[in-house]
Amino acid sequence: MFEFIIAGVQSPWLLLVLTGATVGMVGGFIGVGGGYMVTPALIVFGFPGYMASGIDMTHIAGKSVVATVRHRQLGNIDWVLGLAMVGGTMIGVEQGVRLLTWTKTIGLSGIVLLTTSVLVMIGLFIYTQIETQAANKVAMQMEKEGIKVGREITTSSLPAKFQRISLYPIVRCKTARIVISMWVIVIVGAITGVLAGFLGVGGGFVRVPALIYVVGASTHIAVGTDLLEIIVSGGYGALRHSMMGNVDFIAVLFMIVGAMFGAQFGSIATAYVRGPAIRYILSYSLILATVGAFLRLAYMLTGSKYAVLSFFAVVFTLGEMFFLCFFIMSLVLFAVRYQKGKSVPDWIPSLVVQK
Amino acid sequence: MRWFYHSMIGYWITLLTISLGISAVIYIFWLHDK
Repeated sequence: MFEFIIAGVQSPWLLLVLTGATVGMVGGFIGVGGGYMVTPALIVFGFPGYMASGIDMTHIAGKSVVATVRHRQLGNIDWVLGLAMVGGTMIGVEQGVRLLTWTKTIGLSGIVLLTTSVLVMIGLFIYTQIETQAANKVAMQMEKEGIKVGREITTSSLPAKFQRISLYPIVRCKTARIVISMWVIVIVGAITGVLAGFLGVGGGFVRVPALIYVVGASTHIAVGTDLLEIIVSGGYGALRHSMMGNVDFIAVLFMIVGAMFGAQFGSIATAYVRGPAIRYILSYSLILATVGAFLRLAYMLTGSKYAVLSFFAVVFTLGEMFFLCFFIMSLVLFAVRYQKGKSVPDWIPSLVVQK
Repeated sequence: MRWFYHSMIGYWITLLTISLGISAVIYIFWLHDK
C-alpha cells in the first residue's frame, strides 16, 4: 500500500503500474487513450471520481506521446488528416460541454449521459463486429484460394460515398492514400468532439471507427493518427485538470512507468496484425467496458448493499484490461509462430501479416 | 479441449476466464475493503 497524499487515499502502487501497462498496451494497439477503462479502475482502487478523471487524463497525455512516436516510426500517421481532425474536435468538444450544461439545467444529465454512452458503445460494437467478421471471412476465403492478402481489408462502402463529396477545399492525405473534402474530416472531428465533450471522455473509441468507416483511412493509419490527436486533446485536458487541482502526480508517475512499456509494445504489435485484428480488439473493448459500467451501476443503484455485486463489478473492471492484453500478446505470439511456419490456431492466418 | 484453442470464441472464453480469475485474486488480496 502507498499513501497518495494529494488524493488522500491509500492504494497498492503495483496495481497502478500494472493498470498503466495494460491500458497502455491496449491504447497503443487500438489507438485510444483508454479513459473508459482507466477511470473506473482508479475509482475501484479508491480514488475519488474527480481525481480519477484528472490522473487518467494526465497519464493519457504522456502515454500517447510514446505511442505516437512509435507509430510515426511505423509510418502510421497522416499529419494532414490528424491536424484537420484536431481542428474539428476542438470545436466539437466545446459544443459538447455546452450541451452537457444545458441537459444539467433541465435536470436530465445523469440519465441522458448514461443512455447516450451505452447506445454509442453498443452501436459501435455491433457495427464494428458485423463489418470485421465480414472482412475476416473475405480474408479467410482469399487465404484458402492462395490469393495474397494485404494488410488492410474492409467491406464497408460508406467511405466511398463520403469521398465523393466534392466541397472545396479537397485535400490529399498522402500517407492515408485518400483524397477527400476537408469539410468531411472537420465535421467528423466536430461530431466526435461533441460526443467526447458531452460524455466527458477523450473520444478515441468514437474517432477511430469514424476515421475507418467515414473518412476511409486504413485501420493502422486511423490508430496512429488518432494517437496524434490525443496528444493535443489529452494535453489540454491534463492542463485543465492540473489547474483545478484534480491530479495526484505521484499516481500519474506510477501509471506512466507501466504505460511507457505497454504503449510501446501495443504500438509495435500493430505491425504484426492485419486491420480486422485491431478492429476486433476495439469492438471487444467497447462491449466489455459497457458490461463493466452496467455492473458498477447495478451495485450503486442497489444502495451499495450487495458485496457480491461489488465483487463482480471490480473483477470485471480489471478483468477486461487483462483480457485485452492477453489477446494482443497472443496475436503477436501466434503471428511470430505463423511467420516461422509453426502450427497456429485455425483463426489466426487471416488476422496476422505474413512476412 | 481442442475447441478452446482452434476456435476464436473458444480462445476468447479461455482468456476471459483466466483474466477474471487473476482479477478475483487481486480483489481478494488488495481491494476487498475499497
